[in-house]
Formats: sequence, C-alpha cells, structure tokens
Amino acid sequence: MTHPSFEAQVDAYLDGELATGDVRELETHLAQCPECTRFRDGRLALRAAIVAGVPTFQAPAALRERIREAARGAAPSARAPRRFTARNVWRPLALAASLAVVALGSWTLALQRAAGEALADDVLASHIRSLMPGHLTDVLSSDQHTVKPWFNGRLDFSPPVYDFAGRGYPLLGGRIDYVGGRPVAALVYGRRQHVINVFVWPATRGPGGGPSIRTRQGYHELHWTTADYTYWVVSDLGLAELQDFAQLPRQA
Amino acid sequence: MDSGAPARFEAVVLPHLDAAYTLARYLTRNPQDAEDVVQDACLRALKYFEGFRGEEEGSARAWLLTIVRNTAHTWRTRHRPAALAVEFEETQHSDAVAEDNPEGVLREKSAKETLGRALDRLAPEFREVIVLRELQGLSYKEISDVAGVPVGTVMSRLSRARARLQDALREEEVC
Repeated sequence: MTHPSFEAQVDAYLDGELATGDVRELETHLAQCPECTRFRDGRLALRAAIVAGVPTFQAPAALRERIREAARGAAPSARAPRRFTARNVWRPLALAASLAVVALGSWTLALQRAAGEALADDVLASHIRSLMPGHLTDVLSSDQHTVKPWFNGRLDFSPPVYDFAGRGYPLLGGRIDYVGGRPVAALVYGRRQHVINVFVWPATRGPGGGPSIRTRQGYHELHWTTADYTYWVVSDLGLAELQDFAQLPRQA
Repeated sequence: MDSGAPARFEAVVLPHLDAAYTLARYLTRNPQDAEDVVQDACLRALKYFEGFRGEEEGSARAWLLTIVRNTAHTWRTRHRPAALAVEFEETQHSDAVAEDNPEGVLREKSAKETLGRALDRLAPEFREVIVLRELQGLSYKEISDVAGVPVGTVMSRLSRARARLQDALREEEVC
C-alpha cells in the first residue's frame, strides 16, 4: 500500500471505523513512519482541543416542556408550530411570563445543571485517563470477591461489585479515582475490545429516574442515582448496548 | 395517534433533545434560532412518529437528528438566501468561510474561542459532520444517513474539516 493511503486511513482508524485487518496494517506502518505518526498526533491534539473548547448544549427546559406539551396535547390543543417570523412578537411575552413564574426555580436548576455538566466532564476525563497505558486498574481481577474487599480501607464506603461475565460484560478490575472533589470507586468492565468504566459513590440526594444520557466525543455517559449510590457509566460502546449494560447493576 | 403514542414519543425522542439542540446550535449559530429549529423539528417528528419503527435508541437519535438537520437547512435557505446563490461545491468550499464572517474582527487569545470560531466559519456541510462525529459520536453510516450523502463523502468532509480546524489552531499558536 502506498503512503498517502495510510494517511487517509488514520481518520477512520481514530474514529474506530477501520476494519480489523487494516488496523493491524496501519499500526505496523505507524510504528515505522514518523510522518504518519505526526499526522495522527495532530489529529489527537485536535480531538483534545475539541473536548476542551467545543461545548455541547442542553436544551432549554422551557423548550423541552413545550415539546412535551405538544406530544401530550396531540391534535387539537397542540400549540400551532411557531413560525420563525412570529418570533419577535412572541418572545418578549413568553420571556416575561417565564421570568416571573420560574425565575427562582430556573436559577437553582441552572446552577444544578452547570454542576452536573462539570461532573460529567470530570467523569469523562477520568475515563479517558484510565485508557492510557497502566491507568486502567489498581486491582486486576475478574473475581468480585477479590475486587470488593480491595476497596476496604481505601474508601469510606464499600461499593457494590458484581461480575456480569454471564451477561457478556466481564469484570476486569477496579481502581480508586477522584471525581467531583472526592475519591470514588471505579469498576472496569469489558465488552469485546471496549472498556466500560462504572464510577460509584454514595448518593447525596434521593433516587432519580432512569439514566440520563450524554454523548461527548464519541463516548456515551449514563448517569443515575439509586437510594444508596450515584452511578456514572462511561464507554465508547454503542449506546444501545451500554443502556443494556446499565440495566445490570440495577437488577443485581 | 394512539393513546400510548405521547408516552412513547417522550420515551424515545426526548432523551435526544440535548443532542438535537446542540446540532441546531451549531447549524444556526444562535440560541434563539436553534430553539425555533428544534421545536419545529420536534413537531414534524411528532407528526411522522407513527411511521417511525426504529427499535433501538441509536436509530431514534439518528432519526431525530436527520429531521433537525433538514429543518436547519430549510431555515438557512429562508434566512440567508444570498448564501445559496452560490451552490455548495465540495472541493471549492472545503476551506471556504461561511457567509458572514469578518475575519479577525475579534482577536481572543484562547484556543477555545479560536476553535469555536473556526468551526463557525466552516461551511455548514463541514460543520455538521464535525458536530455529528466529534460531539455526538455518530458512526460514519449514521452521519451518512443524517446528512444524506454517501459514507465516502462523509469521510472526505470530515478529513477536510479537521484539516481546516487544525490550521486554525496552528494560526493561533503563531499569533
């Protein structure tokens, strides 16, 4: 294969879209070609810059509510689709009304949401760090009875540890991580070549509903809270499979 | 719509509202317009929801993003007719700037702002593949479905868009 075709493959490689056979060939080439390695490093630097500098956004609560209303109201009572041109008339009225009614509520909500975003970024950073060589596990064991006691004396709580090998998600080990300003348990599971990090720490608020989903940089993050624990699950695994996985600790 | 449909719509579509809003934000480059686009797209999605048979989450996301993407492009033709006088052409616009961009009006120092501005300056066809891939983690196949172009085109657009963003970062270092 000629050199430029390798360079063309680097994007597909980094995006996880290259066929296994081609991956091997490309990795061999990368090991001996400084030019392609530089190209790859440039792409990795860009990826890091995007994580740091290009935000995702949360849909405004009012928008979410309007859409929910439209779905429920279905046919006759549904709000007519807002025409783009009507915006200027409509917006100040809606703004005034919503400001008056929900000022306090949305303020606290916004604060909570900002905190949630920061935490989600923290969790993602930990996940990515864990994928660097030698950072994944402190205790390497697929035995839940080895992993669980390992946390004793290292954390002020005993995290729930289960092996889901029978369901296709083997436990690979665990480690201590530091997220949201506190030490937390990180449990590591595998699925084919994918790594799943499960971050667990004691809940400070009551149980919430189903997992909330956030996708960033090709990684999915699922978050939920039980009566006892706060859970964050991160992986580059497909969303459907990751949601399937997220059911398991909740059933265990 | 049957009586279970609103609940099903909420369960299947609403989890992807942030993704929809993020895409709309980058395509319209404006929070108010993004809200309008997402609302309009969701009303359309609601209308066609019974025709949606996707079972898994991923397909619901791609389905909603497709509608948002098309709504945003319609929005753009209405609001920026001048920009369409020149047909989008793959190679010519690969590093072309988007319509209204007084280059270098602001000279913020941080790489964060540089990258954000560089992204805003990309032609929408390039901006959307970056957002779908880098921020939303869609596969090439999904991006090809959402943008309505072959996978090979997705790959070449991604590659050109990334090269352009890297140039922008390098320029910032030089400054």
